[in-house]
Amino acid sequence: MENKRALLKRRIIQLAVIVLVILLGAVMFVVGKEHTILLDNKSIESGGVTYNAFQVVEVQVDGRDKLELGPRDRDKEVVMGQRHKVTVTYFDKYYEEHVVVKKFKVPISQKMVLISLPAVAAELDQSVWLTNYEAPTLLNIPKDEEPIVSDDLIPLDF
Amino acid sequence: MSELRETKGEKFFNIIEKNAVSILFLIICAVGIAFSGYSLGYLGQEIITRVARNSFLIISLLIPIMAGMGLNFGMTLGAMAGQIGLIFISDWGIAGIPGMVLAMIISTPISALLGWLCGKILNMAKGREMVTSYIIGFFINGIYQLIVLYGMGPVIPIKDPALVLPRGYGIRNTVNLIGIRRALDDVLAIRVFGLSVPLMTFIVIALLCLFMVWFKKSKLGQDMRAVGQDMEVARAAGIRVEHTRIVSIVISTILAGYGMIIYLQNMGTLNTYNSHMQIGMFSIAALLVGGASVNRASIGNVFLGVTLFHLMFIVSPMAGKNLIGQAQLGEFFRVFVSYGVITLALVLYEIRKRRSRTRAGRLLAQDQLDAIKEEQ
Repeated sequence: MENKRALLKRRIIQLAVIVLVILLGAVMFVVGKEHTILLDNKSIESGGVTYNAFQVVEVQVDGRDKLELGPRDRDKEVVMGQRHKVTVTYFDKYYEEHVVVKKFKVPISQKMVLISLPAVAAELDQSVWLTNYEAPTLLNIPKDEEPIVSDDLIPLDF
Repeated sequence: MSELRETKGEKFFNIIEKNAVSILFLIICAVGIAFSGYSLGYLGQEIITRVARNSFLIISLLIPIMAGMGLNFGMTLGAMAGQIGLIFISDWGIAGIPGMVLAMIISTPISALLGWLCGKILNMAKGREMVTSYIIGFFINGIYQLIVLYGMGPVIPIKDPALVLPRGYGIRNTVNLIGIRRALDDVLAIRVFGLSVPLMTFIVIALLCLFMVWFKKSKLGQDMRAVGQDMEVARAAGIRVEHTRIVSIVISTILAGYGMIIYLQNMGTLNTYNSHMQIGMFSIAALLVGGASVNRASIGNVFLGVTLFHLMFIVSPMAGKNLIGQAQLGEFFRVFVSYGVITLALVLYEIRKRRSRTRAGRLLAQDQLDAIKEEQ
């Protein structure tokens, strides 16, 4: 009886350790998952309104080094984990500095997301400025070429 | 029993013989350093990097030696398990320390299973553990290649095209571990006298050393030592000999898996089909160079061995180039020395074993002679 109880206790401890290790693995998976954040300074249209690309914009992800983007520039940051912060710094046509900070969460299954900087600056809904992005591969290259968009740039567009 | 009287010459010869491999390496390294022309700063930096990179793997060899199972050539099984963990985290895109921890978690059950299998087989081949574990390494390598070359892709889902061969299945020869490259080394990297020291890696190694010291004193550690000294006496004392031997191999294999992950995070690249095979040979050679033998090894042997062995690795190509004009000669030399040192250590072990048997006989004879003299 005593032996059986000791054996049961041992089995329970072993099971608990296995469950703990699996949980630790799951946490590591979520915390360590890499995501690519594409930072896009292109004009964007939403709700019939066009938000123009910046002449020069500074963007920072999670307090890393600032990236400076020109019109139609796209850069990337590779980050770990799901919750991040993007800081967009730009000057308006009166050379007044504006800083917009947005927090967002990247879905665990998503390898790449695209952030539209003009949409962030315009403080649009997150679904507009944060979109999932599938990198084109040989299998899913778009058949038609994207139309060339000429940007009307701010702040030089007085 | 009285002490066998030894002449000073015999004592000196015994010391030389006991440390023959280390002394030989000291001489090789001294000559190599002189001819290589490398600065002390460069050599120091290289040694620090290599000690941090290899020590964990070599420490994993200590437990089977304690249990009297000799040098665990089966550590390659753990290395393969570690590599499988790394392939998975690379595919899933898990980076940094979490990636390393996840790779270790994945490798643990695989290492434990392979270690258990290896231990079971070694129990059937008592007295021939080293050659058996060596061959098991080749056998499991075949299965590893089958899984990695044909299973990964169609059976085991691997989605990242950077990992999969262009034909659509199987893992590429080289896997880029950029996500975890120097993840542990860079956590607490400090500079001492202009040399970069990966402090966190050394802390992990120190923790493993503490674990080894504690383990030796634990009940299981004492059982292993008893089994290592005499299996029959241990059995008579109520120790489960076979079980203890299996546990020693399982622990060694799991630690080898972790060691391989630490090794590869430093390298930053995984040579899918070769890394594990090389590592077994080099780790064992390094331990032997440190003065360990088939039945006796300590933490001190690990650090002395990895320092001397890798010092030879660093200086030999340049020394070869400066001496003969061909760096390739140094390359051949270091491979030749790796195998040579294992052979030399095994031969010396056998000679020592025979000599100790003779010595025991002489001791007995001397005791009997002393007893007769006392009676007279």
